[in-house]
Amino acid sequence: MKQAGNRNINSFLDSFFKLKRDINRWSIATLFILLLIAVPVLTISVKLFDGPGESWSHISTYLLPSYLENSLYLALLCSLLTILFGVSSAWLVTRYHFPLRKVLEWLLIIPLAIPSYIVAYAYAGFLDYGGVYSIFMEVFGVTQAKFDIMNVFGLAFVLSISLFPYVYVSSRAFFLNQAVNLLEASRLLGVSERKSFVKLILPLARPAIVAGLVLVIMEVLNDYGAAQYFGVNTFTTGIFRSWFSLEEPETAIYLSALLLILVFGLILIEKWQRRKIQYSSVKSTNTKTNKRIVLPKFQQFIISLVVIIPVVLGFFIPVLQLLIWAYKTVDKVMNQSLFWLSLQSFGIAFVTAFFTVFFALILLYFSKWNKITLVQNAAKLGVLGYAIPGAVVAIGVMIPTLFLDKWFITEGFATQFVINGTLIALVYAYVVRFLAVAYQPLESSSLKVSDSIPDSSKILGMGNFKTFIKIEFPLIRAGMLSAFILVFIDTLKELPLTLILKPYHINTLAVKAYEFASDEMVMHAAIPSLFIILTALIPVVFLNKLLLKNE
Amino acid sequence: MKNPLYILLLAVVLFSCKNDNKSNEEKTTSEEINVYTHRHYESDQALFEAFEKKSGIKVNVINASADELIQKMVLEGEQSPADVLITVDAGRLHRAKEKDLLQPISNSVIDSILPSHLKDEDNHWFALTKRARVIVYAKDRVDPLELSSYENLVDEQWENKIVVRSSSNIYNQSLMASIIANDGEEAAKMWAKGMVNNMARTPKGNDRDQVKAVAGGEADLAIVNTYYIGKMLNSEDQTELDAAEKVAVFFPNQDDRGTHINVSGIGVAKHAPNKESAVQLIEYLLSEDAQNTFASSNYEYPVNPNVENAPILQSWGSFKEDTLNLSKLGELNKKAVILFDEAGWK
Repeated sequence: MKQAGNRNINSFLDSFFKLKRDINRWSIATLFILLLIAVPVLTISVKLFDGPGESWSHISTYLLPSYLENSLYLALLCSLLTILFGVSSAWLVTRYHFPLRKVLEWLLIIPLAIPSYIVAYAYAGFLDYGGVYSIFMEVFGVTQAKFDIMNVFGLAFVLSISLFPYVYVSSRAFFLNQAVNLLEASRLLGVSERKSFVKLILPLARPAIVAGLVLVIMEVLNDYGAAQYFGVNTFTTGIFRSWFSLEEPETAIYLSALLLILVFGLILIEKWQRRKIQYSSVKSTNTKTNKRIVLPKFQQFIISLVVIIPVVLGFFIPVLQLLIWAYKTVDKVMNQSLFWLSLQSFGIAFVTAFFTVFFALILLYFSKWNKITLVQNAAKLGVLGYAIPGAVVAIGVMIPTLFLDKWFITEGFATQFVINGTLIALVYAYVVRFLAVAYQPLESSSLKVSDSIPDSSKILGMGNFKTFIKIEFPLIRAGMLSAFILVFIDTLKELPLTLILKPYHINTLAVKAYEFASDEMVMHAAIPSLFIILTALIPVVFLNKLLLKNE
Repeated sequence: MKNPLYILLLAVVLFSCKNDNKSNEEKTTSEEINVYTHRHYESDQALFEAFEKKSGIKVNVINASADELIQKMVLEGEQSPADVLITVDAGRLHRAKEKDLLQPISNSVIDSILPSHLKDEDNHWFALTKRARVIVYAKDRVDPLELSSYENLVDEQWENKIVVRSSSNIYNQSLMASIIANDGEEAAKMWAKGMVNNMARTPKGNDRDQVKAVAGGEADLAIVNTYYIGKMLNSEDQTELDAAEKVAVFFPNQDDRGTHINVSGIGVAKHAPNKESAVQLIEYLLSEDAQNTFASSNYEYPVNPNVENAPILQSWGSFKEDTLNLSKLGELNKKAVILFDEAGWK
């Protein structure tokens, strides 16, 4: 017995000394940043110990089963559809030469810029009485035609069509950087193009595809506006219902925690399933050989058609509907203040995207440089903010920052709130929420950089930091640009968090669009929505050029 | 890489500092008012601008849902910059009062305008506009003589004939609360069950979509708020216009308690830094000028008795309104949601 006790103490001491030996400034810095990101999430989770409110049994009897069913159903359908749209278009765009390729390449990102609730309204309007669809049907003699899209399948379609760019962007970054060398080898060995795609490229692209898919699923589980309008009750509906209608924030937090566990469970299963597979390539710098295959004209035409489908569904149809509405409301809505709003939205999104990518990079690399595996794993917790509804993140940010603000006032450092009601709280909350959006593409692109490259650099006497700047930074540039674009667009259309935390004198296009839409003036929301799309185009086009320079 | 980084950092710091300074200046002159509002109508924007011109007090607006604003005020506590809270239903104002976020205002101007059922009994909040939740019916298929009350809608004659939006909507919750208050819990639950039975489809869309569904023949009756019909009749969209013209408004329960009304209202925050400006704003919003704007551009019923309804509202005729104290709607809101769930009203 005594011996066993001694052994325990010894092993404890042993691990303590190991900890002391392995701890370095990177571990501390990682933990510090992690703390900053995790504070809002932790604040919310602390509340979990209060348990759910008294309505819990009511919710679990009457609501939870159908909410859970709908959410899982949606997640599954959207996964299938986004992979179908995202991977196929990414592959065709990187691998083949066809008409309109260059334009389509960036148009495929744009559906992301339209808030999904606006896409939902646009499709409902498009297919409703008197919509484009019914006018079209009248040609065939059918009057009062309406296609009912307002159900769970319609919702899955609408969400997939506005979210597939996540999968497209991450898998394209992989295909651009990686696939060429592998395909070259595969071709030399006499394997057909199709077979190498199915047997070689798809399995290798898995981390990239999954990275995009995780974002899609989180966003799907998080959607409120579109689901609400279509009358599909999801998990998030439950969160809002228990928070606002049943007046029990603690139950809402309990539900968000369940949602978190659900998402985290999915991520873990995927990680566990691919744990044995090492994803790093020996040479990924040799990308100049990416020559697109030139097929006969007819086949090129077919490929164009295939790639155009998601663009038409996710961009042209909603935009067409928005333009029709914009035409009808232009006198009432259009004025110069929209340009000023665009400028503000652009500024906020730019700053947010910058900081988010910056923090995601720090989290990714600092945790790599530190030697404690626990810290490395903990760094992954930083992405959880994305799984929590924006309104809940806002509350999570307000609790600790208001504490600081009030403390500043009582200590006499300030006369009024300096964090809340300014851009600091807003950008901070955005970073907490969107860290995952930046982290996923960065992580998947850094996985492709073989460890041997930075290792040899360090053996040659370069520090972590210099190695990063000189070697890793250029290698993961494509991933960084993707991350930047995604966060930028996400910030542009973000709503609940912006509404709660934005300063008085600042307004965004998304808020403007919402003000109309929430008052059932959907048509009036069209013009601000179109401005969001235009603003999103700027970085997409610009950064895409940079991305293509890599080829 | 380094240079743009520093410039950006600097820009951000300057950006946020600038905001601080600005609000500091405003604070010292105290000629401002911070409005937390759930109403995002153009009419409100116009009224705030008119108030700024008239009084010289700058109006800062935070727009969000009432629930989020209440949560925000709770967290901000004594240092909350909010001066007034404006919501689109009495229930939320009642909730804010329960959470001790509002303060009583005794003001003779307000008292002379508002009848007692349109304000809080302790003067914590005041109604700004009224909206009635009515039945609309397809002119070509329904004889209005067959309609009588909300309670009558569960009659089997309306099986598969009614459309109405989801129970997460506050207007439906308030209607349910009024039915609980008038008929009792058990009867209210039976009513909700009967409604679910008579629905032509699972609840979806907003109020305008329900009108479109009736016009399109999916159902014969819908429950909607009056001002949406007013807006549809003035829509830029021909389809909405056509749809609204195919239906007519029926005010239920005229033989007993009257049609359910809800209000959009305002309360002064407990820790309002600019209480005087807040009271001035309320007085202004209840004035005939402002009430005229509410009535004409947003098709709501004015609460100031000296102001006439918009012509469209007048064309529907006058009606008897349920004078149930609106605080009741707040008290019974949670009960209403629970009964909705039990009855299976999605």
